[in-house]
Amino acid sequence: MERIVQGQSPAEIVKQLQNSDGYHITNTARDLSQSDFKNRILLHTDLLAADARERAGYFSLEITGGASVHVDILRKQVDPFLKLELLREKMPTTMFQTLCRGVNLFGYRPYPQNVIRFTVKEFAKYVDVWRTFDFMNYIPNMQAVFEEVAKAGKLNEPCICFSTGPEHTDAYYLTKVKEILEVTGEDIVLCIKNHGGLGTPKRIGELVDTIRQKYPDLPLHYHGHNTDGNDVGRIVAAVQNGANIVDAADASFTGFYGPPPILTVIQTLKELGHNANTIDEDAVIETSEVIRDERQHYEAFESQIKGFQPTVQIHKLPGGAMGSSLEQAVKGGFLDKMPDILHKELPKVQKELGNYWSVTPGSQILWTTAVSNVQGGERYGNPSGDLRNLLLGKYGPFPFYEPDEWIFEKVLGADWKKVLEEEGGVEDIGDMDIDKEKEILTDRIGEDPTDQQLVLYLQHPNDAVEFFKFEAKFGRVYVLPPSIFLKQGSFEPGETLEFVDHTGKEHMVEVGPSNVAEDGETSVYLYVDHHQRVYKFAAELPDGAAAPAAEMSKEEILDLAKAGDIRASFSGNVCEVSVEEGQEVAVGDKVAVMEAMKMQTPITSEIDGIVTAISAKVGDAVQPGDKLLRVDVDE
Amino acid sequence: MKTKILVANRGEIAIRLIRAIQELDYEAVAVYESPDKDSRHIRLANEAVWLGAGPRCDYLDIAKIIRAAKKSGAQAIHPGYGFLAENPDFAKACEDEGIIFIGPSSEVITNLGNKVIARQIMAEAGIPMVPGSDNLAAGEEGVATAIAFAAKYVYPIMLKATCGGGGRGIRLIETDEQMREEIPIARAEAKAAFNDERVYLEKVVIEPKHVEVQIMADKTGKTVHLGTRDCSIQRRNQKLIEIAPSMIGDKALLDTICETAVKAAKASNYFNAGTVEFLIDKDFNYYFMEINTRVQVEHTVTEMITGIDIVRTQIKLALGKDLAFSQEDVQMRGHAIEMRINAEDPQADFMPEGGKTVSVYRSPGGYGVRLDGFVYQGFTIPEVYDSLLVKMTVHGFSWNETVDRLRRCLQNFVIAGPKTTIPFYLNISKDDDFINGNFDTSYLDKHPHLFEYEDNANEASKLSNLIAEIHHRGHNPYAA
Repeated sequence: MERIVQGQSPAEIVKQLQNSDGYHITNTARDLSQSDFKNRILLHTDLLAADARERAGYFSLEITGGASVHVDILRKQVDPFLKLELLREKMPTTMFQTLCRGVNLFGYRPYPQNVIRFTVKEFAKYVDVWRTFDFMNYIPNMQAVFEEVAKAGKLNEPCICFSTGPEHTDAYYLTKVKEILEVTGEDIVLCIKNHGGLGTPKRIGELVDTIRQKYPDLPLHYHGHNTDGNDVGRIVAAVQNGANIVDAADASFTGFYGPPPILTVIQTLKELGHNANTIDEDAVIETSEVIRDERQHYEAFESQIKGFQPTVQIHKLPGGAMGSSLEQAVKGGFLDKMPDILHKELPKVQKELGNYWSVTPGSQILWTTAVSNVQGGERYGNPSGDLRNLLLGKYGPFPFYEPDEWIFEKVLGADWKKVLEEEGGVEDIGDMDIDKEKEILTDRIGEDPTDQQLVLYLQHPNDAVEFFKFEAKFGRVYVLPPSIFLKQGSFEPGETLEFVDHTGKEHMVEVGPSNVAEDGETSVYLYVDHHQRVYKFAAELPDGAAAPAAEMSKEEILDLAKAGDIRASFSGNVCEVSVEEGQEVAVGDKVAVMEAMKMQTPITSEIDGIVTAISAKVGDAVQPGDKLLRVDVDE
Repeated sequence: MKTKILVANRGEIAIRLIRAIQELDYEAVAVYESPDKDSRHIRLANEAVWLGAGPRCDYLDIAKIIRAAKKSGAQAIHPGYGFLAENPDFAKACEDEGIIFIGPSSEVITNLGNKVIARQIMAEAGIPMVPGSDNLAAGEEGVATAIAFAAKYVYPIMLKATCGGGGRGIRLIETDEQMREEIPIARAEAKAAFNDERVYLEKVVIEPKHVEVQIMADKTGKTVHLGTRDCSIQRRNQKLIEIAPSMIGDKALLDTICETAVKAAKASNYFNAGTVEFLIDKDFNYYFMEINTRVQVEHTVTEMITGIDIVRTQIKLALGKDLAFSQEDVQMRGHAIEMRINAEDPQADFMPEGGKTVSVYRSPGGYGVRLDGFVYQGFTIPEVYDSLLVKMTVHGFSWNETVDRLRRCLQNFVIAGPKTTIPFYLNISKDDDFINGNFDTSYLDKHPHLFEYEDNANEASKLSNLIAEIHHRGHNPYAA
């Protein structure tokens, strides 16, 4: 059959899928990177793979979306739009696919409608297939994205998020498919989004069969994860029961929690009489060979614990969140408590909170709640702002049942019923004044931003500005291979590093000596294109010197707060200062919002009074005991 | 004892002069002010004399320079361009002190430096000129003359300082009202800049080409020309790019202009090297503008196409030799383009980048490339002098070949630290009008897209900054 190529209309693509005998493959490179390499696979590696991937004949290449937009600017220092532009140059025919979290876009909480539409419009210039989901399977949360994608002439791929448990029946999922089709119309591909890699092959086979029987012409795309090592089994069952497209990844980078190897899927299904449409197996093999040597440079970002995790069927964490959860456990020093958190607390919290789908941002809420329950002593004693929003129904209604009343009481307080009545329900977020935001951004970067810069800023204000500043200082660093950009440890003296800059000029950098002056300043000598350059780094304070003298206890911080001296009670970033100096506040009024582990927590005043000093500003990274602001009793 | 010549200048031209002096097996004496203490011309000269703390005032101090010449035993002084090069008092002081001034006599400099006298000489010799006024009388009388002149020749009109030059002391007047306002200001400025407040008017030639002729004359009055240069690409009347020969297709016209230049030189009893400047309007009428009585910045393009070393010839003529070649011996071959690579930011209205340190300096080489510079890696550009870092001159057999070479050399030229005119020139080298030879003095105004470029001259050093940080910390803190 003819290959499906970018530029075709949704109707043409759907028709072609309906008329094909075999199945198609999506190369899920982004999800592989997110699940097994903490999203660090660099554009440099994707550009190396581009030529072979282009020839391989995939339905699509999933290369953006999910957490990658944020990590692109935060940890990879690459412009997510430029990334797509450069890949498009090398891959003129393959459709590019994204993963969009509906109203939460590529972030962790709902965005205003006009921001959603603006963002989708800009990304749709590069992205052909829009896989969109909502962690509550609440269809209205995806509506704006559906509309903008259709308007741009691109293909909608709405998801039903899949999980297991008594409530997760075929009948339930059929109602969801129906709800989706009612808003999108028929020119879509439906995705069964098995982000945890849950269920057995038999279960997936049944679900696909049920949907296929009811909707014979609806193209179905099965997305899974290999966390338990058995996704090839589920893929086989899906294809045997009528799935048109399945997800897999390049073998040489497959690991534990991401998609399984493409070639294994092809070989297994071939024996069973199912052919992978338009796939060039040689090009699939070649891709893995081309990038195989690069993998060693990503080792530091691979999972902290090795091996498959069949217990995912118990804890249900999605593949895309496994790596970052383990990373937090290592950084937070509670890796030893992981068995308790994963196998006991998490399943318990999951049931208590309504057995919804453990995927962003819902998975983060489950995870932080479980960690806090184990670490903090009292269960639900230290609820995050996002857990509060979940119970208030801000993300959408609970799909099956509501949590028990005692949880509401713990999280919302004794008068939780009143709070729920007054504040509950899906939040109607008003449009943002984008022009005003543009002015602010102009001010912060000192020049008129492009629309693309503005989109990034609206997603992640501080991180976007930091990225723009980074690029101004360090240039276009995506040209650096992982052996340089992700180097662990110093380079060898005399080592020669080579790269080609974004204009095509080749450069050579030889590592010279480093000198430490008496004041501790280090001079690093490099020979850049045979010319000596010296880079100076100020002395770093010895360990602990920069930290506060002694970390305050939670009790001390609370005591100070009751005296009006409001301090951070945990380490995180200030993401909002809600008051101004001179403003009157009452007990319980929100004065600031802090963010840690992607979750926001409001900081409230413990006394009635007037704000007399503000020491923190948006974007500050603060430690427990750091001053935020001061409230004095009005006399 | 070897002949000693004092070089009364700094920067790239000082080095150009020192090279010619040393090639003649003479000794070069450099002079310098404190801000230039790390300048390379000091190291290259056979000896160097410190003039004072500067800035600029000591390079302009006739007495100090004469004293330096005497103290070092120099028999001759080469003034280069700028500073004292066209100051008749300096030439006169040399004459009085028995030091050979490498250039025309003080009398010639006086006459040609005074734009009004120069115009009289040229008028008598029948050289075509842009209509102009005499020196304006002071006060209301001068303003009245000016307004009458403007009525006759139509605005815009140029108001020029009589003793100005090199693009300085010129203002464009569009209305009577502006004329009234600007005359006193121009006088005050001329007084401050040239110590002579006289001003005069000239009709403006709209969007002209700037074409000049290099001439050489010996003491016998033998005068030859070395062909034309086109210096039309300018910003605010300051030349940026010079080309030899002129791209005007009408060879007969260029021959006439060259002959006129020789005639003009002879009419003013010219001696040594000089440049006769003309404006050419859209109908290919040409007008005498002025004679520059010094070696020009852009003399290199003429040297490239004629093979004649102008500075060496200047020195030999000044030391009493006659011209060793005649007009028939001067053969033009190919094309040459010189670009003045300045430490300036073209995107910020050519704001000078003085005070910055050149951290990377990688120059192009190979066939048909000539560099006249003075900076080196680690050199901090003094803020108190002009921003010229290096002149890059390329030579080719055909115009296309020359432009191709120019582009290649600009691509290979890396200067990090200060912003430079290189990326801007690179745009010019790719511009269709430039490639097709279509440019006049309005070229930059009409090609605003030339200012659109990414400043990536520093890309390698920016990326290396990250590499240094990764090396220093043992991991990449921006990827952690």
